[in-house]
This record gives sequence, C-alpha cells and structure tokens, in this order.
Amino acid sequence: MAHVNTETVQAPSRSLRGRIVSVFRHMRRDRQLLMLFIPCLLFYAIFRYGPLYGMIIAFKDYSVFTGIMGSDWVGLKHFEKFFSSADFWLLFKNTLLLGSLTLVFGFPFPIILAILLNEVRVKWFKKSVQTISYLPAFLSVVIISSMIIDFLSPNQGIFNQLLAALGFEKIYFLIEPEWFRPVYVLSDIWATVGYEAIIYMAAIAGISPSLYEAAKVDGAKRRHMIWSITIPSIMPTIIIMFILKTGSMIRVGYEKVLLLYNPMTYEVADVFSTYVYRKGLLESNYSYAAAVGLFEALVAMTMLLSANYISKRLGGNGLW
Amino acid sequence: MVAKGLRSISLFQIINTILLVCLAVATIYPILYITAVSLSDTSYVVRGEVTLLPKGFNFGAYKEVLMDNRIPRAYLNTIYYTVLGTVINLLMTAVAAYPLSRRTFFGRKFFMLAIIITMFLNPGIIPNYVIVQNLGLLDSVWALVLPNAIWTFELLILKSFYESMSGSLREAAVVDGASEYRILFNIVIPLSKPALASIGLFYFMGHWNSFFIPMIYLNDAAMYPLQVVLRDMLIFNEGGNNPSLVDAAALAPQAMKNATIVLSMIPVLMIYPFAQKYFAKGVMLGSEKG
Repeated sequence: MAHVNTETVQAPSRSLRGRIVSVFRHMRRDRQLLMLFIPCLLFYAIFRYGPLYGMIIAFKDYSVFTGIMGSDWVGLKHFEKFFSSADFWLLFKNTLLLGSLTLVFGFPFPIILAILLNEVRVKWFKKSVQTISYLPAFLSVVIISSMIIDFLSPNQGIFNQLLAALGFEKIYFLIEPEWFRPVYVLSDIWATVGYEAIIYMAAIAGISPSLYEAAKVDGAKRRHMIWSITIPSIMPTIIIMFILKTGSMIRVGYEKVLLLYNPMTYEVADVFSTYVYRKGLLESNYSYAAAVGLFEALVAMTMLLSANYISKRLGGNGLW
Repeated sequence: MVAKGLRSISLFQIINTILLVCLAVATIYPILYITAVSLSDTSYVVRGEVTLLPKGFNFGAYKEVLMDNRIPRAYLNTIYYTVLGTVINLLMTAVAAYPLSRRTFFGRKFFMLAIIITMFLNPGIIPNYVIVQNLGLLDSVWALVLPNAIWTFELLILKSFYESMSGSLREAAVVDGASEYRILFNIVIPLSKPALASIGLFYFMGHWNSFFIPMIYLNDAAMYPLQVVLRDMLIFNEGGNNPSLVDAAALAPQAMKNATIVLSMIPVLMIYPFAQKYFAKGVMLGSEKG
C-alpha cells in the first residue's frame, strides 16, 4: 500500500490530459491485477449484462433465425397483449398470494425456532435438533417435491392413510385447487425453517451474556429475557432478512411450483415465472415471455426498493 | 442438571422440549421412511406396511436401479457437471475476489457497483436462455457451468475474507519482488482455504441439486443429470400426467424410486453434518455486507 492515490488528491485542478495520463499510470501500475480481473469482467459482461441487453427482445419479434439485432421492433405490443389477457390478473394474484403467504407464515418460524433452541440447556439435545432441522436445506427441490407427492398420494400417502384411519374421506391434495396453497406454504416452511434459523442462532450467539446475567440479578424470568433482550438484540438481523425476503417474494420458488402443479391447479398455482417458462420455452414465444419476465423483474425491484425505503424510514436499518 | 433436581425444570422447558422433538421427528421421518421403503420388499410396500423400519430387508431395488442404464449414466453426468462446475466456480471466484479486495485497485468502485447491480437486476429466464442459445452453448456442459461461473454473493463473501487477512505477509512478498500472481496463488489462496471450503460447499450443492438449468439447456437425454432423471421418474407432470392421479405403484416400483432418491442424497448427506459453521459464517458475512 505504498502508493498514494494522487488521482483523488489532485483531481479537481487537473487538466484533462493530466487526468488521462494519471489513469494510464494507474492502469499500468495495476496491470497484473487487471489481468487477473479479466475473466471476471468477461463473465459479468457476457452472462450478467448480456441478458440485460437481451431484454430488448421484449420490444421486438424475436426469432432464433434473425437474432437479437435483426428482429423487428414492435414497441409495446407484447406488454399490451399481456396486460389485456385474462392471464395477467390471475398470475398477478397467484404470485402475490403465494409469495405473501410464504412470507407471512414462513418468516416468523425460523425466529421462533432459534429462540426456542437458545432456551435449551442440554447441549447435545440442542445440537441434534438443530442439525436435524436444517437437513431439508440440502435436499433438491425435485426430491422435496417427490416426497410431497408421495406423502399426499391418495392411495398410499401417509396423510390419506391417517385420514382413512380417522374415518375421513380421501383428499386429492394435488388436484384440488384449494389445497395447493396450504401444501405449498407448509412444505416450504418444513424445508426452510432450520436453515433460516441458523442465521438467527448466529445473531443470538453474538448477544453479550452479561445482559442476561444482569437481568437474572434483577429477577427477570425467561420470558422477560426473551422479550426484552433476545428479540431486541436480533432485530437488525430480522429486519435485513425481512427486506431480502420481501424483495424476492415475487420470485416465488417457481421450480417447486413447476414440479407440483398440473393443469387442474393452474388457476391457483401458475405464477409469473412458470408462465414465462411455459410460454417462452415450451411454446417458443420468446418475446412475449420476455415481456412478462421484464414486468416481473420490475415488480420485484420496486418491492425491494420500497421495503428498504420503508425500513430505513422506520428504524434506520436498510440494505444500503 | 441432576444436582438441581426436578424443581429447575419449568413448564416452559417441558413444552419447549416437546415442540423441538416434534419438529425433529417431522423433519427426519420422511427421509427415514424413504430409506426404509427403498430397502423393503415390494409386497410390504404395496400394502403400505412399511412405516419406519424396512420390512423384508433387501437390496433388490438398488440392484435394479444400478442395472437400469439410465441412472448410473445420470449419476456419472452429475458427478462430472458438479466437479467441473465447482472447480471453475472456485477458480473464477478466488481470482476475481483478489483484485476487488485491493483498496487501490484501478476502477474498484466502478466494478463493485457494476457487480452489485446485477444482484438486483435479474432479467429472468428468457434473456438468459437467449444469450446461452446465441453463444451456441445449448446441449453442452458449458451451458450449465459458464452462465453461473461466479455467484455474486459468494464473490462478496470471499472478497471480505481476503480484506480481513493480514497485509503484512503480502508486503513481505512485495519486498521480495513477488508478482501479484505469485502472491495470489502462493499466499492468498492457500491461506483462504476455510473460506474457499465454505463457498465451495454452496457451489457443490448448487450443481448437485440443480434441475431447472439442465432441464432447459439440455435436450439430449443421454446428458441428463440425476435430478432431471429423478424428475422424469418421480414427478413428470407436464401435460397433466400427475402421479397423484394414478396409483403411484403403477408408474415405477416405489422401492426403486426411493432407492434412486437415496442414492442421489448420499454425497449430500455425507457433507451436511459439517456444514453448519460454514452456513452461519457465509450468511452472517453476507448480511453485514449491506
């Protein structure tokens, strides 16, 4: 770090020529680092900014044969078609409902689990429960979906056997539309609760033990400590997690929807991403699907920005 | 604990313990059940008599799975994609993070901003597909590896790890006349093994469990990885052919399906007990990042 960054020190009074010279000198000095950085630069240019450029096909009639450049501009045709189609409101409703149900019901559980685990005094028990609880985070979405299908199967599934044993009628969980959302949300909680609890466990581990000791001296009960020490101390983590979740809410786990839905449940299960996949890749309507995807990306970004803004206004804790 | 006697066990602790035991059972039961079915005799499975322990213990289903040429081939494909992908991921990330971790690096602020922007601007499935298609990568392993060669979150984690390393080793190397390449490959990377192991775990899991990306980029069934084959075998609901409609046993023998699931889980189950501290570290670093 022997170099002084002359550029920033003198920049305002420098002539243009002087500044260009200093940039070149800086580049020359860093040429080895720049060489190392080239693969990364290429990667982001091609595979992260390339698709951003590729988004213009939403305003064109893209075909594989004419390419991105050669296709004709059509303006907002695909957007108009999408907004005026009956699918639009259905997808909008499904995406928001599935996303917000997952958020509202899924968000508190990892926090509760972390707090409950923190109250366990027997070390081996605490560790075993925690280790078991995040196991599903390691399973693929295909395996989790197949387990769901298996367990809910009308003939052999354990839930229907249980229902039968209790004298109820069979439920075709994956065919009856009203069951799709509960199945999706509950299985999501099952799969993510342990993994997400790790984050809060780590935050709780960072709380100074002296706070608890002081409270104990003052005669505080466990529940007092939870409410007035543990929860306030992990609030920053909770808020950051909430913002992140809100931002990704619109991008509901489309892979799982894709694996679990079928034409009978499209009316409740079809979300933006699955629709994009069907229209774009299965039916080869690239431009139309890209327009839907662009709309989805805009909604997602708006939600992230507003969540960040609101939380900054409320407590000063934001992502940036 | 024993010395304090029963008085120290409050109602809260009892309820808490019961809740946590229920959670642990609910989490582990499906996996034990699947394993039990895979090791059971078909006749017991069909009658739904298997609950927790295998009945009519045998490895027949595994033998069948290994004889079916689709699955061993898919298994080898998955290993190939995962190893190649993870190696490229680690190499790219380790090299990319180094210049970014240097505070005086040319254009650092600009590059950082350009990289972070991509976390929020996600153009979605179609533009990504079109780019891969235009590059002529469809139906090749590169379509699975290159478009995700660096995960931004992992890059930022490694960058802050490098930043937290002591600068004195580097300065000593500079005095000795070492080039940046030597410093990176002989000092920085060897010293960041724990961080590389942690992000390597995420990359490994990502490749091993990936199904959507290979599904859209590969058309040749001989190239399918395990997850895509599993999906065809277990779920396959395009066109409304949902297994829950029909008797599950009619599609493929349940024991065989579950044997395939268990086989696909083995590498994952082997690394997972060691993963906890890496998870916490990775995620915490990420959230401090801001």
